[in-house]
Amino acid sequence: MSFHPLMEYGAGHHQSARVLPEEGPAFQFTAANLAKLEEICTRYPAERRKSAIIAALYLAQGQQGYITLSAMRAVAAAIRCSTAEVEDIVYFYTMFYTRPMGKHIVMVCRTLSCALAGAERVTETLSKELGLRPGETDANREFSLLEVECLGACDRAPVVGVNDDWHECQQPEAAKALIDGLRAAGAGSLTGCHLKVAGE
Amino acid sequence: METVTLTIDGKPVTVEKGKSVLEAVIQSGGHVPYYCYHPGLGVDGSCRVCIVKIEKMPKLQTSCSTPCGEGMVVTTNSPEVEAARASVFEFLLVNHPLDCPVCDKGGECPLQDFSYSYGPERSRMAFERRTFDGEGVKADIDFGPTLMLNRNRCILCTRCVRFMKEVDGDAQIGITNRGVHSEISTFEEKGVVSLLSGNLMDVCPVGALTTRDYRFKSRPWDNPNAVDTICTLCEKGCNTTAWIKAKPEWAKGTQLIRTTPRLNEDINSYWMCDIGRFDYHWIEGDRRINQAHMNGNVTSWEDALVSVKDAVDAVGGATHAQFLVSGHASLEELFIIKQFAGNTGGVTFSWRHRVKPQPADTKFKIPAVDAPNLHGAKDLGFNTATSGVANISALQSAVDAGMVKLLYVLDPGPDGTLGDVEWVIAARKAGKIKTLIVQAVLHSALTAAADILLPGCAFVEKDATYTNMTGHVQGAARVITAPGEAVEDWQILSKLSVVFGVNVTYSSSAAVRVAIAQALGANPAYAGLATMTFSRPMSAKSWLQASNPSERWKWDFMFQDLPPIKFGDDFGPTPRANVIPMKEVK
Ligand code: SF4
Ligand code: SF4
Ligand code: FES
Ligand code: FES
Repeated sequence: MSFHPLMEYGAGHHQSARVLPEEGPAFQFTAANLAKLEEICTRYPAERRKSAIIAALYLAQGQQGYITLSAMRAVAAAIRCSTAEVEDIVYFYTMFYTRPMGKHIVMVCRTLSCALAGAERVTETLSKELGLRPGETDANREFSLLEVECLGACDRAPVVGVNDDWHECQQPEAAKALIDGLRAAGAGSLTGCHLKVAGE
Repeated sequence: METVTLTIDGKPVTVEKGKSVLEAVIQSGGHVPYYCYHPGLGVDGSCRVCIVKIEKMPKLQTSCSTPCGEGMVVTTNSPEVEAARASVFEFLLVNHPLDCPVCDKGGECPLQDFSYSYGPERSRMAFERRTFDGEGVKADIDFGPTLMLNRNRCILCTRCVRFMKEVDGDAQIGITNRGVHSEISTFEEKGVVSLLSGNLMDVCPVGALTTRDYRFKSRPWDNPNAVDTICTLCEKGCNTTAWIKAKPEWAKGTQLIRTTPRLNEDINSYWMCDIGRFDYHWIEGDRRINQAHMNGNVTSWEDALVSVKDAVDAVGGATHAQFLVSGHASLEELFIIKQFAGNTGGVTFSWRHRVKPQPADTKFKIPAVDAPNLHGAKDLGFNTATSGVANISALQSAVDAGMVKLLYVLDPGPDGTLGDVEWVIAARKAGKIKTLIVQAVLHSALTAAADILLPGCAFVEKDATYTNMTGHVQGAARVITAPGEAVEDWQILSKLSVVFGVNVTYSSSAAVRVAIAQALGANPAYAGLATMTFSRPMSAKSWLQASNPSERWKWDFMFQDLPPIKFGDDFGPTPRANVIPMKEVK
């Protein structure tokens, strides 16, 4: 029910050119993820439930690989905020994807330290190796290649991240070896970051 | 009240503790520009134009987000501040289309005014402007049933985002993407659907959000006059300003062109609802009753008044007459009715009750009762409820039983605000009511069924007072002249009073208010009624000067004609492509 006087709407005017995320298949959190989310929400005061929004989006992304309109609605319902607020967050953080991504998301840091240490050469190599320009995903959804901002390991530039792990001092050859390894043995080939190697 | 004292540009200023430096500057009459700051919204600190120098702080500070401290020394106009501020303005205009000539905000645009006063003389940006949704007016896109959005003009102050979140209670607006790609957005591009959406046009400091109703219709310089009044479309009684547009030379006269809210902390804060804002077209619409009618034919006032007397005599006197009065009747009208009510069959109040769909935690609740003066009726001693659905069953059964030979309907409100009237029409058709007299403003099925029709005035055509739901007694001013032969409702009633057995003669509506104030002297709410003054159409400039500065937060700078700060030679001659001269900061 609207009390607005009749004003011509939606006809004859220009429409927004903003590209919307895809609707996607109907999204529902799995019971396990919902339980996890509820647990995360308990870490914040009840009236600040919204604080768990990033965690909720990560769960949704983990479950489906990327975030769709349907997933945003599910997150808004779970977090009890508006869908616009969810979309705002999704678009602000580059690590939330709104389109299907490859199994291995290869991210080359292009911020200062890495750039000075030759990150562009690494990107070039990876691009040639994978046949992808930065931002693209191959048709088999095996690889996505992304250029990202500082990954927080500047002392070991250039840094290449693969999913949740990062690989340091990646000169072009090392990067090529990384891809070969991934192709041959999948995620198992990853050695992870030096902290892991040294510390664990 | 705990206070702090600080020095602003060498002058000591004392403000309430917790106020921001910007608020202290505004309070002390100083000039600091602002976009993201809005007194009715939370602090954001995103636009950076309010920067000032505060001694002992290493960098320039955004005054809107810095609370005043005891002994602070603030400078708002040193060369350092001026230069830094000018750079911020330069950046704000990097992608702004500057299509002021076709922009609805042009002339009352803080971006124009502040850029003119504080910005650099020219931009040094040589690259193409980033556009969304296309160039020029193509970029005006649908943004819900009442608004249009032009993202190219948006300066991302997030006032609209905060309004929806904080005041409306349903955060429908967000910002997608970031940096230079940031754009105002709604989920699935559905636009804003809210009964408070019109306020977004007010809070937007640029021409990014405009209302479908007002866009392309007028400009500030076409609206020479503004009148402070109130909205009477529901029992809230929001304080408003009615804007009057001058018609072109060849079509003399004026026209009500828009309504904007006016600050009243106790009632509506800075806001008003869309119903009050957009539902005004009926006032100067085609369906106004311009002349008195008898049995559907135009007649003169004299004949109409005589026929009312004849009709009352014909049914056997005033005791056989009943009154059905809209909750839109003002105190003046009701006071006159009250004086002869005892001689008549009785007075029944009716109004429309509609629950407005709003988010549960909205800060601006629109009441369900669409009647501005039920509390006034109660205070005048009428027996009526002041909330909920009107109970007219007693009158209905009296009509059914054939006990009401003459029904006098007073309906000075817009369509439908009298509540259900179908039964009146049916009863008149069935002959259960012998004579139906209607005093109204709009032709309707009810007025078509009337034997005698008397043209009254809408709330913007008379000085009248109303008591809102919280007991505030407020005046709605005469903004425009009434159409045709329409007469102020209290006058019609006072002329007819003799028919109903009393002879009230007041020289003016002010005289009625004096009498009301005497009658209700015991009630402190009515203490000011006798001396109530009404705003008159005044030029926008004097309107601004006559007002309390905090009320006019938006137009504060509109007519000040501050001299622009020129950087002239400091910025060098016309910029050369490969050289970017910078202003030296001492
Ligand atoms: S928003 Fe203001 S500055 Fe921008 S085009 Fe409109 S009038 Fe001009
Ligand atoms: S649309 Fe207007 S109010 Fe909203 S962020 Fe842009 S400039 Fe500010
Ligand atoms: S710059 Fe690459 S990791 Fe920090
Ligand atoms: S008004 Fe202070 S940063 Fe915008």
